[in-house]
Amino acid sequence: MLMIVPLSSLKPGERGIVVNLQGGPGFRNRVLGMGIAPGAVVQVVEAYNPGPMVISVSGTRFAVGRGMASRILVRKL
Amino acid sequence: MAMKVVALAGNPNVGKTTVFNSLTGMRQHVGNWPGVTVEKKEGVFEYKGEKFLVVDLPGTYSLTAHSIDELVARNFLLNGNPDVVVNVVDATSLLRNLLLTMEIFEMGLKNVVIALNKIDLAEKKGIRIDPLKMSKALGVPVVAMSAKEGIGIEELKDKIYEMAQGRIKTNPVVPRYDPEVEREIEHITNSLKGTKLERRYPLRWLAIKLLQRDDEVMKLVLRHIGEERLREIMTHIGEAEARYGRAMDLIIASQKYEFIDRLTHEFMSYVGKEKESLTDQLDRILIHPVYGFIALAMVFYAVFKFIFALGLPLQEWLDGLFASFGEWLAPQIANETLRGLLVDGIIGGVGSVLSFFPLVFLLFFALSILEDVGYMARVAALMEGIMRKFGLPGKSVIPLVLGLGCNVPAVMATRTLEDERERLVTMLVSPFIPCSARLSVISFLAGAFFGSNHSIVALSVYLIAILVALLSAWLVGRFVVKGEESPFVIELPEYLIPSWKTVVTHSWERSKEFVKKAGTIILLGAIAIWYLSNYPVEIGSGKSYAEKLGYLFEPYMRLMGLDWKAAVSLLFGIIAKENVISTYGVIYGTTEAIKNAMTPLQAYVLAVVTTLYIPCIATIGAIRAESNWKWALFTTAYMIAVASIVGILIWHAGVALGLA
Repeated sequence: MLMIVPLSSLKPGERGIVVNLQGGPGFRNRVLGMGIAPGAVVQVVEAYNPGPMVISVSGTRFAVGRGMASRILVRKL
Repeated sequence: MAMKVVALAGNPNVGKTTVFNSLTGMRQHVGNWPGVTVEKKEGVFEYKGEKFLVVDLPGTYSLTAHSIDELVARNFLLNGNPDVVVNVVDATSLLRNLLLTMEIFEMGLKNVVIALNKIDLAEKKGIRIDPLKMSKALGVPVVAMSAKEGIGIEELKDKIYEMAQGRIKTNPVVPRYDPEVEREIEHITNSLKGTKLERRYPLRWLAIKLLQRDDEVMKLVLRHIGEERLREIMTHIGEAEARYGRAMDLIIASQKYEFIDRLTHEFMSYVGKEKESLTDQLDRILIHPVYGFIALAMVFYAVFKFIFALGLPLQEWLDGLFASFGEWLAPQIANETLRGLLVDGIIGGVGSVLSFFPLVFLLFFALSILEDVGYMARVAALMEGIMRKFGLPGKSVIPLVLGLGCNVPAVMATRTLEDERERLVTMLVSPFIPCSARLSVISFLAGAFFGSNHSIVALSVYLIAILVALLSAWLVGRFVVKGEESPFVIELPEYLIPSWKTVVTHSWERSKEFVKKAGTIILLGAIAIWYLSNYPVEIGSGKSYAEKLGYLFEPYMRLMGLDWKAAVSLLFGIIAKENVISTYGVIYGTTEAIKNAMTPLQAYVLAVVTTLYIPCIATIGAIRAESNWKWALFTTAYMIAVASIVGILIWHAGVALGLA
């Protein structure tokens, strides 16, 4: 089953494959450069509310704002 | 013979600085890239009798035209003609790091050495990388190393040397995209063939950049092929995007990512599962919405104590040293004008420049440690939500809080902000934060006029100032330094023990630069004030230029209920805010006499206006050093305007309430 959801909806411990980025060129460039490209596996390490999400991509941890996480679409694994 | 040039490129947090320091030792120079405020580090090393100039490029994730850092790095790689490019990659996060490597290869650079750093950390995490196979897969030499432990440095020097001698043949691997993308690339390269571009740039790279709609490359190509042909290319790209249903930069990035993923299988494998690291455990506290703030408050307290408890006495001591030097020198000079200029103007001025040195050095020392340990990224993550409401990034909390001690280190601390626009906004509003010099004015006036209510009164002045700073950030960000808000994503590097050598070298170079750059303006300011207060007659007589300026401004000061004496005092406050009170002392004879000359409302207005009206000369100097004259003057004018408006408002509100 294909379940495409925004990254922000994943819970700590859950993983997803990036399928699309919804945003302007500035946003895309920033995210792509960090290796968050379609095809990359993203794991949510921690999700603070209020506060950022901590995600792991190819061995690196990133803090991502909620707004940004909702613009990264993933296929839940 | 000319030195061979080595460019150091890599992502942030890969240990590039450590590699740079291990190569060059203390033989380095820190400055700025021409025309921008991006830090440029250069150093020299010698190997087998050959001298190498190492240029440390800004750490970037990619080489697009979206940020100044990336443009600086890219332009140097394209036009700086480096003999060797050392691409430092982090072995613990190779997949992502190789994205930059691929961009470098696509730029047509052949003389590339990969410095595979943090190989020891990767081993510990169960990541196995075979450098020989990696070298074969990438087509360029790979040196496995741990710069922090000093492993692999000699081998790296050797590879750089051999490559500069032309003894290493390389064949960098270039990502291949799917047929549709490759067709687009071919279509573009065909249009560019035969132009002058062909001789200067690899056409494939230009084509890929056009596909990504890179502003700078579009401008470059426009100059060579004209609007019509460029439009034809862009339309063609648009049609391809329509077929894919998504933007070309996304398509290219994902295919590049897949390409690298396949490539790494040839030389990288994982043994064992990733365990929860100490970093994860620490982050659970340091980014936590409750514990994180407690930790941040403690860190702030420690940094504050460190900078100001250590720095302020040193500053006073240096000030005293120069004062007594002046006193000793004064009687030896017969000519009165020369004596005044030398003792009050020049020695006083140089003294106040140098007296800032300890503060600035300690600031950079503390900031370097926080940065190198990895804590800065956590501050950014923690504070982002709150600061963003005012259009500021999370990290801006650091310069703003430091401003409570002194605005000069606050302005310098904006260097930790990566985004140029956000950095400027933070810098421009940071002088509103009441520094310790202004605390002395606020507490004197509050104590003298408000008796037992003095702490509430003093606190209200602070609140007004902080509110003004945050609102100004919002205003300036919206109407003056406009631009796209940068989306929030920040790498959380593993916590590391910093290398002391790096921290000390960095702080020393930075502080030296401050003295050089801000020094001139502070010195000139001191001389100007000396002149105004001594000519044609000494101040206190009512006939000095300073007092005449005061009379001139009297009608303006009346608007906020103040007189010419306030104007003169505020003029002297430009040198250092604490002068506002001492100048009153000079005019009235004693500071005690001030109490009888003003009403509490006037005193309150004076306290607020002193806090807001202008950055002191040292802060203006710092802003000029960190940006340019335009912004230094803008802040000055803006603050005068804000102080006037707030002062007039408070005065009239007070009068209306019958408090005058």
